[in-house]
Amino acid sequence: MTLTTVAVKNIGRNMFRTILTMLGVVVAMMAFLLLRTVISSWLMGVELAAKDRVATRHKVTFIMTLPKRYVDDVAAVPGVKEVAHFNWFGAKLAGKEDVFFGNMATDPESFLRVYDEIVVPEDQKKNWLANRQGALVGSALAKQVGLKVGDKITMKGTIFPGDWPMTVEGIYTTTRKSIDQSTLWFHYKYLNESPVLTPPMKNQVGWIVAKIKNANDAASITQKIDAMFDTRDVQTLSMSEGAMNASFMSMFATMLKAIDLVSFVILIIMMLILGNTIAMGTRERTHEYGVLRAIGFMPKHLAFFVLGEATVIGLVGGIFGVAFAYFMVNNGMGAAIEENSGGMFLYFRMKESDAVMGLFIATGIAALAAAVPAYRASKLNVIDALRRVA
Amino acid sequence: MAEATTNGSNPIVIRVENVGKSYTRGRETVEVLSGLNLEIEKGAYEALMGPSGSGKSTLLNLIAGLDKPTKGRVVVDGVDLGALSEGERAKWRASNVGFVFQSYNLLPVLTALENTELPLLLTNLSSSERKTRAQTALRVVGLEDRMGHRPDQLSGGQQQRVSIARAIVTDPRLIVADEPTGDLDRQSADEILLLLEKLNSELGKTILMVTHDPAAAERAHRIRRLNKGALQ
Repeated sequence: MTLTTVAVKNIGRNMFRTILTMLGVVVAMMAFLLLRTVISSWLMGVELAAKDRVATRHKVTFIMTLPKRYVDDVAAVPGVKEVAHFNWFGAKLAGKEDVFFGNMATDPESFLRVYDEIVVPEDQKKNWLANRQGALVGSALAKQVGLKVGDKITMKGTIFPGDWPMTVEGIYTTTRKSIDQSTLWFHYKYLNESPVLTPPMKNQVGWIVAKIKNANDAASITQKIDAMFDTRDVQTLSMSEGAMNASFMSMFATMLKAIDLVSFVILIIMMLILGNTIAMGTRERTHEYGVLRAIGFMPKHLAFFVLGEATVIGLVGGIFGVAFAYFMVNNGMGAAIEENSGGMFLYFRMKESDAVMGLFIATGIAALAAAVPAYRASKLNVIDALRRVA
Repeated sequence: MAEATTNGSNPIVIRVENVGKSYTRGRETVEVLSGLNLEIEKGAYEALMGPSGSGKSTLLNLIAGLDKPTKGRVVVDGVDLGALSEGERAKWRASNVGFVFQSYNLLPVLTALENTELPLLLTNLSSSERKTRAQTALRVVGLEDRMGHRPDQLSGGQQQRVSIARAIVTDPRLIVADEPTGDLDRQSADEILLLLEKLNSELGKTILMVTHDPAAAERAHRIRRLNKGALQ
């Protein structure tokens, strides 16, 4: 037997309370780690972005459009290999209006060249390119809303009013996580040549994406593009795809901060639960601490017992909390979120580093929660403690 | 039986010199002991009696090094306890005093063997030495067949015997017992008192026992009576 054994055995003194406290730690750690995973997965779009693509948008805001002729100008910049352009359509799928997913107009041929990680069966690709009302749907979205090749669908416009009938001509998958599988792409011509669009909305694009020959030239190419449009009617802001993703995500910065804050509030609640349990335990054992002090134990030993007990509760609760959260997220839940988040989460998995951090946090917070009870136990007067009714 | 006499031939092991002890409770100062003098020989077995509030436990606490006198000196085995710091007194207690309490005060999550071993955790003994010593102490109190039992699996008398084993495991010179039979039935109390006699007569332990029970006090070799903080 050692002093540590005594501290650990003390956990079994009130097993019901210990289990409830550990469950509190388990639930708190699971909630904390899930929220941390939401944040890290959200930001994953930046990490997963292709390094050999640069994006160009209106200098003022994402929402303002660029003249379509800029696409050819960007394509002419030395170092640029291919260029694609996009318009955010923002429509809802008729009958599935509650499902959020990205839907964008693009030039199919250049799009598939720029995003060469997109895989579409050859026959479907051919049909999509040939049908101006054809749509290419991500496999996750197709699964989520139950679409298959050949389905006739109607997109209900929000930005561009009216019903937009389309045919699902292809279902794509991807070879990399740099693009989601929850988006619907359709022909730019279908949008641009629609009577709904009147000048000055015609011949406009939302943003341009250029595939470059050498990823190391990204910075200089973006500078060249912006310099080229500097004296034109509409100025641009070009950046790497990662920066573009980050700029898109910055729109949700407040929400991310709120999630961040809530995750720390959870830790504070966990600390209060632990602190309360440990304080109750030490209060109940005042007489016993008096006995231990009488037989020669020093204040530091009592502090060690209190801290040791709390740390073990935190560690065990942390292990279970991290294990449950890790198993849950990385075995099923993560994949389901990736498929059903409308492209918000390209990769929803808990990082090993977050799991390890969770363990340290659970243990550290437990020790922190026990600091005051440990201090008070160590400061007990022997005679007063012995007088206290057990 | 002799009362409050120190006429033996053994050396004096406990010397209480003109001791006073007072406590401050709020604005009020309560004097518990006043000008108290006492000498106890080595190997003595003495009982301390007196009404509640007479200062028995306070005197016991001073002799055991749990507290410091407000006035005077308490010298045990040549050590002036009042001159020691709290940490030094804790170390001194760990090796020189065995405590037996009325309510046993065993740790409920530890077995009899582990409870007995507890004070040895403060020594430099190896794990196997600690275990051997704890087993020996439990054998002395007749609980060799209950070593793996936790307190809730033992009777009151058995728990008190474990607490005596814990008190003697460090081989202290002095054993202080505060109402050791207070929570026990007559038969269990007799067994405990017999055990204390055995520790005194066979192992030469100096025993100082506070008790309200005249039958328990009768078993001691000497009875000292305390009233209103003074020996009578």
